[in-house]
Amino acid sequence: MLLEFTCNGSPVRLEAEPAMRALDLIRDRLGLTGTKEGCGRGECGACTILVDGRPLNACLLYAAKLQGREVLTVEGLARGAELHPLQVAFLEAGAVQCGYCTPGMLLSAKALLDRHPHPSLSQIEEALSGNLCRCTGYAKIVRAVERAADRLHAQGAAPGAQRRPAAGGGRA
Amino acid sequence: MSAEKLSVVGRPAPKVDGPELVTGRARFAADFNFPGMLYGCARRAGVPAGRIRSIDTAEALQVPGAAAVLTGGDIPGPNLIGILPPYDQPLLATEEVRYEGESLALAVATTREAARRAAAAVRVRIDPLPPILTLEEALAAGARRIHPNGNITYQKKLVKGDVNRGFAQAEVVVENTYRTSFQEHAYMEPEAAVAVPGGDGRITVYASCQSPFHLRGHIAANLGVPASRVRVIQAYTGGSFGGKDDVATEIGSLAALAAVRCGAPVMIAHERAESIIGSNLRHAARIRYRTGARRDGTLVARQAEILLDGGAYASESPFVTLKALTHAAGPYLVPNVYVEAATVYTNKTYCGAFRGFGVPQVTFASESQLDELALELRMDPLELRRRNALKAGLPTATGQVFAQSVGLVQTIDRIAELRRAAGPPGGEAAGEPAGGTYPALRSTPGERYRFGRGVACLLHGISNGAEGVDVVGASVQVSQDGSALVGVGLTDFGQGSRTVYAQVASEVLGIPVERITVRQADTDSVHDSGPTVASRSTTVGGMAVLKAAREVAASLRAMAASMFKCPEDRVQLREGCAALAGQGEARIPLGEVAAAAYWSGLPLMHLAFSRAPDARFDHETHQGDVYIAYSFGTHLMDVRVDAWTGRVEVLRHLAAYDVGRAINPLLLEGQVEGGALIGFGLAHLERVETEGGHIQNANFADYALPTILDRLPTETLVVEDPNPTGPFGAKGVGEPPVAGTAAAFANAVADALGLRFTRLPITREDIVAGLEAGAAGGAAGPAGAKVKGKEAEHG
Repeated sequence: MLLEFTCNGSPVRLEAEPAMRALDLIRDRLGLTGTKEGCGRGECGACTILVDGRPLNACLLYAAKLQGREVLTVEGLARGAELHPLQVAFLEAGAVQCGYCTPGMLLSAKALLDRHPHPSLSQIEEALSGNLCRCTGYAKIVRAVERAADRLHAQGAAPGAQRRPAAGGGRA
Repeated sequence: MSAEKLSVVGRPAPKVDGPELVTGRARFAADFNFPGMLYGCARRAGVPAGRIRSIDTAEALQVPGAAAVLTGGDIPGPNLIGILPPYDQPLLATEEVRYEGESLALAVATTREAARRAAAAVRVRIDPLPPILTLEEALAAGARRIHPNGNITYQKKLVKGDVNRGFAQAEVVVENTYRTSFQEHAYMEPEAAVAVPGGDGRITVYASCQSPFHLRGHIAANLGVPASRVRVIQAYTGGSFGGKDDVATEIGSLAALAAVRCGAPVMIAHERAESIIGSNLRHAARIRYRTGARRDGTLVARQAEILLDGGAYASESPFVTLKALTHAAGPYLVPNVYVEAATVYTNKTYCGAFRGFGVPQVTFASESQLDELALELRMDPLELRRRNALKAGLPTATGQVFAQSVGLVQTIDRIAELRRAAGPPGGEAAGEPAGGTYPALRSTPGERYRFGRGVACLLHGISNGAEGVDVVGASVQVSQDGSALVGVGLTDFGQGSRTVYAQVASEVLGIPVERITVRQADTDSVHDSGPTVASRSTTVGGMAVLKAAREVAASLRAMAASMFKCPEDRVQLREGCAALAGQGEARIPLGEVAAAAYWSGLPLMHLAFSRAPDARFDHETHQGDVYIAYSFGTHLMDVRVDAWTGRVEVLRHLAAYDVGRAINPLLLEGQVEGGALIGFGLAHLERVETEGGHIQNANFADYALPTILDRLPTETLVVEDPNPTGPFGAKGVGEPPVAGTAAAFANAVADALGLRFTRLPITREDIVAGLEAGAAGGAAGPAGAKVKGKEAEHG
């Protein structure tokens, strides 16, 4: 089928098997290999992408479901050379070790901050509870999200906000 | 050394490879894509034991997209892999199946799916054999031999003093048997490798791996070509923790064989279930332990019998056995020690290196013994440990004496100090403090929440030591623009060693960390430095970088001296400049100095070797100098146990470590926090369940990996007693937090419940069942209290 959607702000138009996984489409067809496969069963969150602002496991999503949607992968977080405040906070807080879970963590965290700019601890825990990490022990990831929230607050608005104003209420 | 003024070492520098990792630019092995690339998938046995009668590939070759199917007969070399002698694992088995994940054939096809379908279409006929599933079955008289030399992979003993005489002097003796279960590494990146045949008769393999030279050696041997024709480049590696040593050699070799056969690039990328079933686990263990002491708490004798379930192949079992053996007596002065340790083959997934390498199992047992002893003696557990703690000048269990860098007592004192400040466990939360030997209050039976506090001390031998030659090569190259390229023969799979190396080089050369590149390991351009194991990267790898950087710094200093027209010893290299000591204004950018050095013909690159002193010990008794240094640590954990649900909440977790010198406090905390949660998993959540030789929970829905909700409030406390064999005095800390956390957890739960569990993990179900049995007048009681489980195959 002909698929048309927006990926990281750019229009995408391609012919694809509708039963293909969104994960394979993004990695193999679009070459965006920042989205990782960790389990293929929706249990680890490494393949988390945002579809209309909502975090979803790309390994459980049919490519056809991307039709007409707005997709954000880790490659679309930074604006050129300028890292997103979450990316900066993850680096500064030591929230990255091997980095394999990081793209998914960042996107789950972004979805949270777009909805709740001042998340409580339990909101952070809930938002990231589907993303597994074996290296860090998670404490520094929590701290990084808090730090990014503070920084975004100080800046007044999220850099991604213009791209996706109404990030809540995803429909995928 | 502590007088040395350092500007970069000691700073919490963020990871040098961090920007690639947060933007998705970092390429992991499965991210590579080459034109015409094929995919490989193994046909696995699916039964734990049997004789192979036939492997028929005809049908598999008919699967659309199938390019080739390889079996053992297609391998030009010995069809063997393994990290250590006896190198007993076939790449593709031809005669016998020894575990369910045994690879019998490799299907190669144009897509991943086609490769999977072709692998499934390989017809195999196996005459099943009754699998040997427990230690007891493997060691039974007349048991079937899993390997020709029998079912014992490796066994050794340690003899210090006279243990019988020691026990004769003991006034109190505690004795118990402990068990631990198989644990899965569960690195987030499943194993992957891509082999690309070159047009020059060489082959390049990009791999998620831990020890690229192991990989190169096995690939070359199995291809039947000289090692110089094989190039292994480490891709970004998404965690390893010891686990990607064996399996990377397996899939790297298979991918290379298939690539040569098909004349095309071949990728093998495991799925999660394959990663759990088809790569090594942490050994399950059964440890019998006896400890004798005088009434005043002085240890006089310790005796242990350690049996490790190593599964189907040797992997690194010999060295895991050795490490368990040498660490069994704990970080204490014990005059009489007798330990027997052995690893046994069974028909299950093989076991090998996993962060801690045998030490978590024995530390859990040994530290449980210390608490059981403290209870008998009615002595504060921390005081009992302090009384017996190793100090500089006192012999370890192997009789080795260190003149410095034995900081155990300092770690105990840091913990004791904070313990005083903290008050009783759960004090604030509980209102009325309840539970625990420390405040000498125990919650009454029937109360829902029980509070407890546990401590544990440990030591961890740094670097290979008795496990073999210990050399790391590092190169440092300074360009004319004053930037530096560093290459080390060890791998970074997340722990941050590239950042540590950049800091060490920066400190010596005065080049800012941002202008230093530490390359991924590539066997074409770094020296074979052995495996990245044993918490040796910072210590031995860092030392090699230090030496190489010093040589290049000498060129820069000589050049700058001639530019300043001053003696060399007045030149300082710092902040990207050569500066004249005592004259703040006089400085020349290092780019200018390096360019001048180049035009003067001074060497700007150096390859240096760090060779740790050889281990020297008696192989019968294991008495002698076994490791170049030990890291020492003390953990304290406060818990709140929900007696109704068995849920254990960790309220406080302190981890104090003597690391010699903290090169990067941020990354150090990351090592302690991350290791601690793996230890918590081992102690409370994780167990690879097997039944009939089949793993039952090879996925993350059924295998209980800690989530963000399980994270610990770990507080890392650093003690620095410099180690003369490490750069700037540093010692490794990657492994020990696993053992310390698991042991402290077990002691905290025992303290809270007045009930000692002798098997890890202590799950919620175990706790509820144990309390019920106790209430029924069964197992509850002080030191001897045990909760018996059935002799399960998963330990």
